[in-house]
Amino acid sequence: MENTSSDIRQLNEKIHQASAFVDLLSMELGKVIVGQRYMVERLLIGLLAQGHVLLEGVPGLAKTLSIKSLSSAINAKFSRIQFTPDLLPADVVGTMIYNQQKNEFVVRRGPIFANFILADEINRAPAKVQSALLEAMQERQITIGDNTFKLDEPFLVLATQNPIEQEGTYTLPEAQVDRFMLKVVIGYPTKEEEKLIIRQNLNPEASSPIRAIIQPSDIIEARKLVREVYMDEKIEKYILDIVFATRNPEDYKLNKLKPLIAYGGSPRASINLAWAAKAYAFMKRRGYVIPEDVRNICFDVMRHRVGLTYEAEAENVTSENILSEILNAVEVP
Amino acid sequence: MHKQQVIRRIFLSCLLGLLYPFSLLAQQAVDVAAKADTNSIRLGEQIKLQLTATLTPAQFKDPNFKIIFPVLPDSLDHFEVVTRTSLDTVNSQDVHTHTLHQTVTLTSFDSGHWQIPPMRFEVITGANAAADSAVTLPIGIDVNTVAVDTTKAFKPIKAVQAVPWSIWDYWLYIAIGAGIVLIMGGLIWYFRSRPEKVPVVNTPTISPYELATRQLKTLKEEKLWQQGDVKQYYTRLTDILRTYFEHQFNIAALEQTSEELLQNIKPVTKLNQQRDKLRSLLAIADLAKFAKLQPTADEHEDCMVKAEEILEWTRPKAGAAEEDGTTAEKQQA
Repeated sequence: MENTSSDIRQLNEKIHQASAFVDLLSMELGKVIVGQRYMVERLLIGLLAQGHVLLEGVPGLAKTLSIKSLSSAINAKFSRIQFTPDLLPADVVGTMIYNQQKNEFVVRRGPIFANFILADEINRAPAKVQSALLEAMQERQITIGDNTFKLDEPFLVLATQNPIEQEGTYTLPEAQVDRFMLKVVIGYPTKEEEKLIIRQNLNPEASSPIRAIIQPSDIIEARKLVREVYMDEKIEKYILDIVFATRNPEDYKLNKLKPLIAYGGSPRASINLAWAAKAYAFMKRRGYVIPEDVRNICFDVMRHRVGLTYEAEAENVTSENILSEILNAVEVP
Repeated sequence: MHKQQVIRRIFLSCLLGLLYPFSLLAQQAVDVAAKADTNSIRLGEQIKLQLTATLTPAQFKDPNFKIIFPVLPDSLDHFEVVTRTSLDTVNSQDVHTHTLHQTVTLTSFDSGHWQIPPMRFEVITGANAAADSAVTLPIGIDVNTVAVDTTKAFKPIKAVQAVPWSIWDYWLYIAIGAGIVLIMGGLIWYFRSRPEKVPVVNTPTISPYELATRQLKTLKEEKLWQQGDVKQYYTRLTDILRTYFEHQFNIAALEQTSEELLQNIKPVTKLNQQRDKLRSLLAIADLAKFAKLQPTADEHEDCMVKAEEILEWTRPKAGAAEEDGTTAEKQQA
């Protein structure tokens, strides 16, 4: 059914009220996390758009603290899995163990049975463990023995990888990386922010603990509204133009990018770009998507979906450079 | 009477039975021959062995008649096959015969008197492919060694002989070199002496301001919003302004979102003075384009007036157009 202007106005008002929790949530997280507003915003986009987030950044940038605080603020269950080379799929999803008293096998659930999962240094575990996690991410269910368990909603995986240490790591294959809605690159805090971090850590009693300000059911309700956010055909075309420009740059007068791109964004890129744009519009308390929303989340949705050629790597061209060129060439509606 | 008839029939049948094989032989008779060009060679010298088969016109035309030339192995007794030519046909006009012809080059490295063995030609006739063969006569060949007089003393090895050279031995190389020098000289002379290309300056027949004014006038005349096509009205209106900014101030306005455009006009002082008008116009246009907003008739008119005012305010004075553009360019850089 097509939305009318009054529908959109009503939706806009509804979203304006319903999205108020986003500011509250950001404020609550701000109690313990200094800076990193960008990362927190992206976590919320992932949460609202039902997408998982891959974080790339050096250790010590409050990745664990952020997701732990987020789960506390939403009153959700949190698990942290440290990925190591000797980790097994059963360590993540769970296994069947023999109960001598009952004389039967019983299921022991793994740490993945939580609302928020921090898969720390995901590239340190071999492919089979990565696959076990990524399958759960995709299907949102786990099979142990003959039993299949639906994972509780909201279910958000936040995986991290360290960009500087590559020795002894198992790089995520392109197909696996594609399952993450966002790949967020986190930088260091500013000098001022770091000063506050020091003070906060030297005097932990001064900072108040995180309170549960919303329930997981509120997130599920918010997701329904995110789905309803109006996206005009012009915005859809804009999204398609961006994704297609990564595949066929020559069609957008970007012939110079052709030898630098090994492969462009998949249809999943278009879907995720649309979802993330809707979630971003929701967070900005709007009932409709504007081109700014698409541009704002474009880098995080697309950076891991644009494959670079050896030529690009030799010339130190990054996927961000390519996306910038594309955004500067594709006409905004 | 009856007995005589029976005897006559038996006699005729016997006669026909006796004559039939002769008729077949007459049909099959093929004249084959093997002829060597010499009967005496020295070690390693070559002999040309001509294999011929002469056919009558009837045999030549008969589709069931086939003659297969002998297939010689690479070495015969005391002889080596050097080359074999393909089968050739020679038509003799005077005697109406057809001769099939093949030349085999032989050599021998064994001294003595040897015989080239008889050559067997396979002849296939009739619809039932009856096979027969025709054989040539053997050919005797004397293979002689070189006479060495061992009574005489060995002669010393001759010294390297100097070959007298002539300039004519190298005339081709000299001619090619001279040709290249001439061509290079000609090209250098041509590129140095040719008149410099005067860059063709495409002076626009119409200034961006005039173009935008005309387009706004056309848009007004089309009465789009009056006909209910509000989205198209605002799309056209903003496109006209963006194109004008792009041509007049070198701002890539078509590839920028409203917010980015408002940021990027800051360096262009004259345009920045109209920032508020532009902001309100773009805000209404974005709502109309992406949120199905139906502005009031006054708002439609107001947006058009604002667009005209922006154009008028930024209208380049005679001789100042370039200056504005250059300033903008400098600021952008």
